[in-house]
Amino acid sequence: MNADRKYAFYLGCIAPNRYPGSEAASIRTSKKLGIDLVPLEGASCCPAPGAFGSIDLNVWYAMAARNIVLAEQKGLDIALVCNGCYKSIYEVNHKLKHDKALREGVNEVLKEIDMEFKGTIDVWHLGELLYDPEIVGVEKIRESVKVPLKGVKIAVHYGCHLLKPKKERHLGSTENPMWVEELVEALGAETVQYRNKMQCCGAGGGVRGYDLAHALDITNEKLTNMVEAGAEAVVDLCPFCQLQFDRGQIEIEEKFGIKYDMPVFHYAELLGLAQGMNPSELALDLHAINTEPFLKKVL
Amino acid sequence: MVTKNYPDPKLNEKLRDRYYRRDQSNPDFTKETEKLAGSMAHMCYQCGTCTGGCPSAPRSTYRIREFMRRGVLGLEEEALTDPDLWLCTTCYSCTDRCPRDLAPTDVIMAMRNLAFRRDIVPVNFLKTVQAIYASGHGVPNNDTNRAAREKLGLTRDPPTTHMYPEYIKGIQKILDHYKLKENADRIVKEREG
Amino acid sequence: MAEAVSPTTSEKPKAPRIGVYVCHCGTNIAGSIDINAVKEYAKTLPNVAVVDDYQYMCSTPGQGKIETAIKEQGLTGIVVAACSPRLHEPTFRTATKEGGLNPFRFEMANIREQNSWVHMHDQAGATEKAKDAVRIAVAKATLLEDLYPKTVPVEHAAMVVGAGVAGMQAALDLANSGIKTYLIEKAPTIGGRMSQLDKTFPTLDCSQCILTPKMVDVGRSENIVLMVNAEVEEVQGYIGNFDVTIRRKATGVLSPKEAEARGIVGGGCTGCGDCAPVCPVTKPNIFEMGMAPRKAIYIYHPQVVPLLYTIDWDACVKCGLCVEACGTKQAIDLEMKDELVQVKVGTVILATGYEVFPIENKEEWGYKRYENVISSLEFERLICASGPTGGHLVRPSDGATPKRIAFVLCAGSRDSTGVGKAYCSRFCCMYSLKHAHQIMEKIPGAVPYIFYMDIRSFGKAYEEFYYRIQDEGAKFIRGRVSNIQEDPDTKNLRVYAEDTLLGRPMEIEVDMVVLAAAVQPTELTNKTRKLFGVSCSQDGWLLEAHPKLNPCGTTTAGVFVAGACQSPKDIPDSVASAEGAASAASIPIHRGEVELEPYYAMCVEDKCAGCGMCVNLCPYSALALVEKDGRTVMQVTEAKCKGCGTCGGFCPGGAIWMNHFATPQIVAQIDAFLLGGEQ
Repeated sequence: MNADRKYAFYLGCIAPNRYPGSEAASIRTSKKLGIDLVPLEGASCCPAPGAFGSIDLNVWYAMAARNIVLAEQKGLDIALVCNGCYKSIYEVNHKLKHDKALREGVNEVLKEIDMEFKGTIDVWHLGELLYDPEIVGVEKIRESVKVPLKGVKIAVHYGCHLLKPKKERHLGSTENPMWVEELVEALGAETVQYRNKMQCCGAGGGVRGYDLAHALDITNEKLTNMVEAGAEAVVDLCPFCQLQFDRGQIEIEEKFGIKYDMPVFHYAELLGLAQGMNPSELALDLHAINTEPFLKKVL
Repeated sequence: MVTKNYPDPKLNEKLRDRYYRRDQSNPDFTKETEKLAGSMAHMCYQCGTCTGGCPSAPRSTYRIREFMRRGVLGLEEEALTDPDLWLCTTCYSCTDRCPRDLAPTDVIMAMRNLAFRRDIVPVNFLKTVQAIYASGHGVPNNDTNRAAREKLGLTRDPPTTHMYPEYIKGIQKILDHYKLKENADRIVKEREG
Repeated sequence: MAEAVSPTTSEKPKAPRIGVYVCHCGTNIAGSIDINAVKEYAKTLPNVAVVDDYQYMCSTPGQGKIETAIKEQGLTGIVVAACSPRLHEPTFRTATKEGGLNPFRFEMANIREQNSWVHMHDQAGATEKAKDAVRIAVAKATLLEDLYPKTVPVEHAAMVVGAGVAGMQAALDLANSGIKTYLIEKAPTIGGRMSQLDKTFPTLDCSQCILTPKMVDVGRSENIVLMVNAEVEEVQGYIGNFDVTIRRKATGVLSPKEAEARGIVGGGCTGCGDCAPVCPVTKPNIFEMGMAPRKAIYIYHPQVVPLLYTIDWDACVKCGLCVEACGTKQAIDLEMKDELVQVKVGTVILATGYEVFPIENKEEWGYKRYENVISSLEFERLICASGPTGGHLVRPSDGATPKRIAFVLCAGSRDSTGVGKAYCSRFCCMYSLKHAHQIMEKIPGAVPYIFYMDIRSFGKAYEEFYYRIQDEGAKFIRGRVSNIQEDPDTKNLRVYAEDTLLGRPMEIEVDMVVLAAAVQPTELTNKTRKLFGVSCSQDGWLLEAHPKLNPCGTTTAGVFVAGACQSPKDIPDSVASAEGAASAASIPIHRGEVELEPYYAMCVEDKCAGCGMCVNLCPYSALALVEKDGRTVMQVTEAKCKGCGTCGGFCPGGAIWMNHFATPQIVAQIDAFLLGGEQ
């Protein structure tokens, strides 16, 4: 952990290139809470664990390692905002630190581009940094709220790669965690528990690209359960899940004829709103599902 | 496999030999899968915990337990040519709960790797490879987004390979080391012409 | 250099003549080692008079060779190169004795377990190593001396720790064979787990009904000294002579005998129960798995043996209302203190049972989070007519009668994740079948769903019981439960599994879930076993001397194990193992004496400076300083000495002689190994 709370901000693809509001919000809200997110120049796709891991694990290790080395060269830990990137960057970092043969194999390839994985940094999801009372913590978040998000019920979607498999993670229960609900409730919002809340969004493993209808059926099940519990919005910690829930609703309407109008937010976006950021500063108009009705309720 | 060679191709297909016989097992397939997966797939005792919690199982014919069984028995052909191989969302629920401490998700990934070596792969994966080779991103930036970024006070392109394209060469070197781009291009051309 | 003979030897040693026998052990040894080469090599060793080989040295003709050669060739020592001494050392010692030599002039070279069996692919190396082993053994055999095992008397009393069905049975068998038996139980009553069960498989006997006659027998037996609310505090001694200190915890309640001893005429606890109603403090009754209350002064249930109330000091507020209610019986003493009792016994049986694994650690099944998910022992209490609901199975959330009940087998067992237990808990398949039967019998229209990986119905009439339960309508789904979720409104449970036989994922909504949770050894078992010097196996259960041939003994002489504390067992196996342990434990007592191996240390008084540093080093407190002929020297209590060698290795003056492992003998072995080569 860095003593002065400075992290190399690893962006991934979907946050900067489809939901830049999450990026802006992450930087602004973190600043207010004592975390400095600095650019990580030259970073690439993490690479997408489902897409790359499926075809060639060696490439997955090497490309993830390259991103890590960029941060090692800056002498900074990495903070990121996407579960998928977390799997690639955190897991590869951990594996290379502990598996000598694997590390040597990867460094053989990195040598070709004058890079070397040394295992000198750690990787964090912004969500865990925000929850950790030694870094920020729920209390500090509550204190930083200027616009409590009252009057809405929010369903939390944890996603998969942040917590699972628990033997390779350190973020607690994978069956019934409540810490992200705590983060959301710190913003003044009410959370709802819904059926099968820990289920996957359906997008991962390349399935969104391979069989969109199949992926959407999984998303549809989640949305149905969320609606049944009275949710009026969804919050996530992963831009890919966000894409699946957000654009996915348009696709679900096309393919299945079902309409939800359920706005989908990354936690950073909600945190930004609660800290008083203007919706225009969050590029909410880029969202596929209109966020206006939600904003009317809370603001 | 016993081939029947009946003159009527429909009957030949309908009545084809379905016995499992030892010659259908490839022990190297089991070994290779386990090595790539980093998990002792041969220890699976078919309890079904994995399939019981799988999000894809209730809406398809995909059964992770059956893929584990194929791994155990070395049924390479069946495993790698089954289109259901690509329905795993890698949610890791199965790995999280497996009582034998195996990683069925990683077994699927290993099998997908082996399938790719045989050019068995859905085309969307290859498109992702091509996008990354070109820009460093699986989901690259676009103009609508650039405008939005500018309005937010961010740089039009993120400080990734988009803003620093000199880093793309390094990525391409990695991909070329494994001949990934070459193979991706080739297969895409074969499929789409 | 130390003298080559023990301080007690008066005779001048004869010139050594060693007989060396190399065993083929069929192909076990001969398959990896060139027997002939070893034989030829042995012939070149100094002091070797006879060399021979045989297919199976442990057979009668094999042993005969040794006996004959001793007599005809005047041998002074025997070396057999064969298997591990753990197997046939006694065999060859007897043969040596039959031949007319002291049996301790025999030395074994293990060229099987530690050679031929592990070097099967290196015949040349194995053969060379066997030659080394023989050379080393011959060097020692040359210096072995006559030794005489010490016989110690055995106290005519035994102890059984734990009074569940296994402990009770063992105590009854010992007592009935005429041995005074101390039966120590940590709870306020005997009976253990079996008292908590409703019915027993496969006969469907009422558990308490078949147990209470035994409980009464135990209570009435003249030869059984029953101590409840008691734990073993300290253990000294050795087989035949265990000095055990027992902590009898203060119960605050006097038995009639204790009251009489205090001069209270016609007093003491009669179990009348007048005290409990006035007690202001209520706590969960652990006998009812916490599902029913009891007061600070309590009994577990009406059939406890002994029928005496107990005070839970953590709960008692010393208000004294119970003392008042007790009246003239004056059975309550709120100032009672723990009592330490010392007893001497010849043998001990540990029968400390099991507890249920904390199944909430497997979060996927929701135990302790979802009200209607219960454990199997909790089910037993609910279905039991004398339980908290009078035998009516009800849902904890709303008291309704469940109709659809899921049984999750292998919950926490057969689990290699490090959270659960790797082993199979053995009896859960059978009791789950029993539970399924009970709900179908008691609740018309109830459907049990049994989610299993395998049905292990291994015992007598068990498979037939499985047949019966399937016939009665239980639904069997071959698939381990992946996870369970709760409906927040109805508190029903949704069970997720795959029917692996159909190949279909299942989502089954039920009213209640019973987890057939794994069992594990108790904390107190772990503490107690250490006091007796008993090991545990990798899975945590108590380690038997040999899993097949000695399942009731331990490697600590005089200490035996019975019941589930050695490994999960059902009632028939628990009772059988208890009878086995009792039989084994009674043998030294009935014989009246036991032979100890003569490996004890001896003080070489001429050299002893009386410094006393060895005394504190001895882990068995076997050494002491004594005055002898005006000098202070060390003395060994041979019966306590285990021959560990700590003192012998330490003594700076070389004044301690370790019988059968003396310094010159060991030095000779080392020299033979390092300096001797092809002669």
